[in-house]
Amino acid sequence: MSILETKKLTKRFDGVVAINGLSIGIEAETITGIVGPNGSGKTTLINVLSGMLPFENGSVRVNNAENLRVIRPRNIPLYGITRTFQNIRLFEQMTVLDNIMVVLTKRNVFSALFERHTAYRLKQAEDVLRAVNLWEKRNDLAINLSYGQRKLLEIARALAMQSDIFLLDEPFAGLFPEMVKTVSGIIKDLKDHRKTVVLIEHNMNLIRELCDHVIVMDGGVLLSQGVPERVLAEKKVIEAYLGK
Amino acid sequence: MEYLLHLAILFSIYAILGLSLNLIVGYTGLLSVTHAAFYGIGAYATALLLIKTDIGFLMSGLIGIILAAIIAFLIGMVLSKFDGDYYALGSMGFCIIAFSVFLNWQDLTRGPLGLPGIPKPEIFGIEFSTSALFVILAAVILIAIYFACRCIANSSFGRVLKTIREDEQAIQVFGYSTLYFKLTVFVISAMMAAVAGSLFAAYITYIDPSTFTILESVFVLAIVILGGLANLRGSLLGALLLIMLPEILRFVGFPGEIAGQMRELTYGAMLIALMLWRPQGLIGEYKL
Amino acid sequence: MDIIPQIIANSIIAGSVYTLIAVSFNLIYGATKFFNITHGVMTAIGAYAVFFFGKQMGLSVWVAVLIGVLIAGMIGWLLDRFIYRPLREKKASQLALLVASLGAFTVLQALIAIIFTSRFQTLTHGVGVQKTFEIAGGIITQTQVLIVIAALVVTAGLMFFLKCTRFGKAVRAVSDDNEVSKIIGINTDRIIGIIFFIGSAIAGLAGILVGFDTAIEPTMGLVLLLKGVIAAIVGGIGSIYGGAIGALLLGFVENFGIIKIASEWKDAIAFGLLILFLIFRPRGIVRT
Repeated sequence: MSILETKKLTKRFDGVVAINGLSIGIEAETITGIVGPNGSGKTTLINVLSGMLPFENGSVRVNNAENLRVIRPRNIPLYGITRTFQNIRLFEQMTVLDNIMVVLTKRNVFSALFERHTAYRLKQAEDVLRAVNLWEKRNDLAINLSYGQRKLLEIARALAMQSDIFLLDEPFAGLFPEMVKTVSGIIKDLKDHRKTVVLIEHNMNLIRELCDHVIVMDGGVLLSQGVPERVLAEKKVIEAYLGK
Repeated sequence: MEYLLHLAILFSIYAILGLSLNLIVGYTGLLSVTHAAFYGIGAYATALLLIKTDIGFLMSGLIGIILAAIIAFLIGMVLSKFDGDYYALGSMGFCIIAFSVFLNWQDLTRGPLGLPGIPKPEIFGIEFSTSALFVILAAVILIAIYFACRCIANSSFGRVLKTIREDEQAIQVFGYSTLYFKLTVFVISAMMAAVAGSLFAAYITYIDPSTFTILESVFVLAIVILGGLANLRGSLLGALLLIMLPEILRFVGFPGEIAGQMRELTYGAMLIALMLWRPQGLIGEYKL
Repeated sequence: MDIIPQIIANSIIAGSVYTLIAVSFNLIYGATKFFNITHGVMTAIGAYAVFFFGKQMGLSVWVAVLIGVLIAGMIGWLLDRFIYRPLREKKASQLALLVASLGAFTVLQALIAIIFTSRFQTLTHGVGVQKTFEIAGGIITQTQVLIVIAALVVTAGLMFFLKCTRFGKAVRAVSDDNEVSKIIGINTDRIIGIIFFIGSAIAGLAGILVGFDTAIEPTMGLVLLLKGVIAAIVGGIGSIYGGAIGALLLGFVENFGIIKIASEWKDAIAFGLLILFLIFRPRGIVRT
């Protein structure tokens, strides 16, 4: 059974349909790639699934929660979801370490008031920062990192959440080959640890290399889905990308 | 000497206001100009209770703080839904409403006539009647508030406040109900402002609404921004500098009425200059 | 005696004053997206310019009014040129701009008080020399008729100007997307400078009219600004006709509100209306 499922999901912006009756299922413990031309609704889908945009019609079933019609951002960790952003959204005027620590600490206001750094949490933060080679930069402000490092820090922040489902919005965009290797290693590692990864990506070689399943969107609807080798060779998929 | 003590007491009061406002403006990144209202609530509650009852300074102050907390909770429920400009404007609105209550609820506050004859505080049999004694009381409270603010700033709570300042929507996705964090810091900060109000009322022994206008909020904001956003020592520095400023202006020798206006003018010019050339203030850790 | 017609007349007059401020505030907000607090003090600048040229220098009323409006516009343009434009170039946040404008507000208000003292002044020479009209049982003075006409002309003029002229199209482009307008070759800094001139001139006119209707003092700007901003938010921030609708609503709510409550609470009523809107309809009547 799929871990994440949408049923006839519809999202409009001022009358323009961004997602149109989309029904898809994401299998647990797999890597699913979402591809499609610009404006096909990929990022909108991730924003809807993470509660950052409300949706009008349809429902979402995720992990243990049935038929959600409203998703609140602060509840998505409860559903086991975490995400990264296409346009990097770090806590800029805070240190690299604080960017990670903040997702490890207590969510309740009053517990948070009386909580300090703990060695245990520091160790967790160290682990994820070492995974992206940013531990040495832990005391720098996020705003002072390079573009690639910022991208990696966002991924580290998501890793620290230890969720079941990772929604990664273009994790490779603009990265140097060395960093691409780091990130794809992290993604494979997640799968090995029985996590579910959904990623938006334009590079078809990466999709073929990483993904078990690929979903092609075009104009807010599902164009095709299945094993990357087969789907990416389909005529309608190629046409959607290159134009007729 | 007596005058130096007076300045030291004023410094303590404004440092408390600056520290507590820094929690909202510097750490949480919300521009609140409602501080004068809670300062006034603390001052009026303490003054009225000291004049009309004999429950003593500690008890009066405590009731003032609780009252400020309740009002801050109600106001914060509305304000915490907003950020940026709307937060600033809403807080301005509450400051003006509070001022019109101080001014117009004449049965209670005597309106513009003010409340004279507030007794000096007495705690555990010690009467803080001289400036020398009062400065000790004020300093002790200031130190307590400073450490309370430091605890808050260094806690996990404090870190979440900073993320709200940086990107409120992003931190929500990681499971935080930002509204409650904003509300809590607002209430804590208001309670501290009420402490400053209690001290002020008991020290000056006469209060009237003119102290608690929006300009007072702007003055405290100037302290916070000049000293440094998201840096508690910055607020101490800011309070020190801005308390000294009138003395410098006096030294230059402006006549009475103009001196007051010159002070306002200097605060205003300072805010502009800071925004243009040093938006984090002297030793701040956050650029507005 | 039936007081309803008089209250309706008062509501429309108050609404007209707020309209002038709200539409000009919205014009500037639309293009710059920051809460320009200095807008309030433009009213006092206009009014004091007329006080100086008309009453102290003895120029004719119309010349003085013209000079007053131009000076207000000029100062608005200067503020943009030397404070807000450099801040925009540094990519300063909205809050930094807001704080800078708060600073400029404080400076200008203090300057007026230093030059003209903070006493109340009148623009007219005597009392009771104004012609009055009676309309459907409500009495309205000549100045008040002018206020209503000015509000109508300014709102209609601005709407026409934005819709039908080439310059208006550029203004709308800048308001929609500053960056894109720059790319397609619009000189956004020049357009914003002109917007500041026009907006500030309208605020100056509002201050002058209020001055002829009642009296002037250096601090007159803050309350006028806040009412204007409340009207702008209630109507729909950034929208010209939204501002006018909001202003009219505010005028009616205030004046009908004080039938039952003492008139000192007018400001509190206005902010009560704002808070209701912030809770239930934060994007205003026309939903911008």
